[in-house]
Amino acid sequence: MVVAPETVDGGKGSVELRDDGVVHLRWLSGISIEVEDAKAAMAKVNEVCQGVPHPMLVDMAAVASVSREARGIWSIPCDASRIALLGRSPVDRVLANFFLGVHVPPCPTRFFNSRSEATDWLNAVR
Amino acid sequence: MNPVEGSEDPRLEHLVDGIVRLAAGELDARIEPSERGDAIDAVITGVNLLAEELGHIYTELEERVAARTAMLRRTQVELEHMAKTDALTGLANRTLLNERIQEAIRTGTESGGAPAVLVLDLDSFKAINDTLGHSAGDAVLIEVSRRLRSVVRASDTVARLGGDEFAALITGAGADEVMLIAHRVWEALQESIDIGTETVWTTASIGICLRDGGYSAEEMMRDADIAMYQAKAQGRNKVQLFHPDMLNAVQERSRITAELRTAAESGQLALLYQPVIELASGKVTGVEALIRWHHPVHGTIMPDNFISIAEETGLILELGRWVLHEGIAQLGRWKQQAPQLTDFRLHINLSAAELLRSDLVGDVTGTLTRNEIEPSRLVLEITESVLMSRRTVEQQVLEKLRAVGVGLQIDDFGTGYSSISYLRDLPADTVKVDRSLINNLETDSRQQKFVAAILQLISAAELEAIVEGIETAGQAASLQAMGCLYGQGYYYGRPVPAAEILARISHSEPQM
Repeated sequence: MVVAPETVDGGKGSVELRDDGVVHLRWLSGISIEVEDAKAAMAKVNEVCQGVPHPMLVDMAAVASVSREARGIWSIPCDASRIALLGRSPVDRVLANFFLGVHVPPCPTRFFNSRSEATDWLNAVR
Repeated sequence: MNPVEGSEDPRLEHLVDGIVRLAAGELDARIEPSERGDAIDAVITGVNLLAEELGHIYTELEERVAARTAMLRRTQVELEHMAKTDALTGLANRTLLNERIQEAIRTGTESGGAPAVLVLDLDSFKAINDTLGHSAGDAVLIEVSRRLRSVVRASDTVARLGGDEFAALITGAGADEVMLIAHRVWEALQESIDIGTETVWTTASIGICLRDGGYSAEEMMRDADIAMYQAKAQGRNKVQLFHPDMLNAVQERSRITAELRTAAESGQLALLYQPVIELASGKVTGVEALIRWHHPVHGTIMPDNFISIAEETGLILELGRWVLHEGIAQLGRWKQQAPQLTDFRLHINLSAAELLRSDLVGDVTGTLTRNEIEPSRLVLEITESVLMSRRTVEQQVLEKLRAVGVGLQIDDFGTGYSSISYLRDLPADTVKVDRSLINNLETDSRQQKFVAAILQLISAAELEAIVEGIETAGQAASLQAMGCLYGQGYYYGRPVPAAEILARISHSEPQM
């Protein structure tokens, strides 16, 4: 069953529950993520998962910045069972690791710059 | 450009500037990354994030320090409040009252109006505590403090000094207003207090210190206290204004106390002896030992002026011991000088406190033995109130004294709370009728009948009567006609030194 990606309130990203059971959160390139955006994204993830935990791939896609409060939102448990943060640039890596280092994620979370490695890690424990 | 110098990329210059601003404490400084998202942007982003975290930690730390400081300040205020407040009533305590008095004295000096201090002591609080328990006592104290607060002005301070003692500081009030407030306080305590199902009354004795400036807080408290004790001494439930004479009296008492402490060992005490006469024959049957204090400065001081102080301070035990030893030793000397006087007796006054002296019986018998005196030749005079109280300890001591053969005599009969029915059971041999009962004996026929009835009553209780204060031949004749056996008084002889007694005995006729 293919479900079309749903736009996160605020329009800075989209969420899709893929056929392989992976929830895919995709941020638009160059945006700044604020606390409202993070909350909206989490609400959308919970909405598509409908209470069933799924692995989640977060496509950072060269996000410009993530506010401290927004990073804090992802410390709240949601329907994601594990999270792979996928970025390309060194900036993505810094942002992702700052999140991992400063906050305590509610589920296993790692940064990848390879999509296939990220997908493999997400699928490894299913 | 040489890449080593790094000057080809302006972002590095911005980065250095940004770090310098951050290092200077400007924690909200941020460095704008480019859209390239390369390693330099990653360093810029990292620095920005670190600065943000640092700023957050700083803010959080400052908030915590502020919260902790506020908490410490609150705790300090609470502690100060506790240290200066009476926990039970919430009133000021002695420390706070003292501070307020000092402050009032300072401002009073500037404005020309001296403060006034009231000290109150509840009159019957101990009885409430003893009979209804401490929680009832606490409830009374709380109600008393509520009433006190309700009758003073908002600017005045009411304090609990401890126990059942309270105080109030009245500031900026004239003498009339202070007296008015004191009477309002007095009035507020006239009404009963309901404690559960019980109703109690707790009036107060109130002392006021209202003096012109120039006195310390301590002096004001002391003077209000002295006035309060005066109010108590006058029968309680009274308001008494302090007067400087009262302080002199207190100082006089403490001087007497200090001097009395060393009077015996420095040889200032002496015994005089007043004859006890058998009325029918005029024969001297014994003597009553009477203490005198020959003060090096003030001359001879009569017992009325120091016995009550000795009783209050406990010195009476030492005095009593000295009188006992000295009196019996003298009786021993008389016995050696006039062995034919086999029934000559020595009367010694014993105070209520001495009956509680644990070694009294042993001391009496030991002293008699040492001086080879038969116990029957010693008569101990005890006031009727002691005998009437019938407390176990005193009762046992009296019985032991009687058992060894010492005579017991009720002193000052007719001045206390004599009970006719008790008279029969009293552990005594003789009763001394107080001098006040024979005052108008010669002129007042009703008084004659009254004294005759008392003497008959004593006789009916199988006790022997002795009347003191006989000053005239008429009194002596009347009493003899009424059947009174023994007498004492100036008519028969004033108290004299021991050396004169034997001559008095040999002169068998009454002195005219």
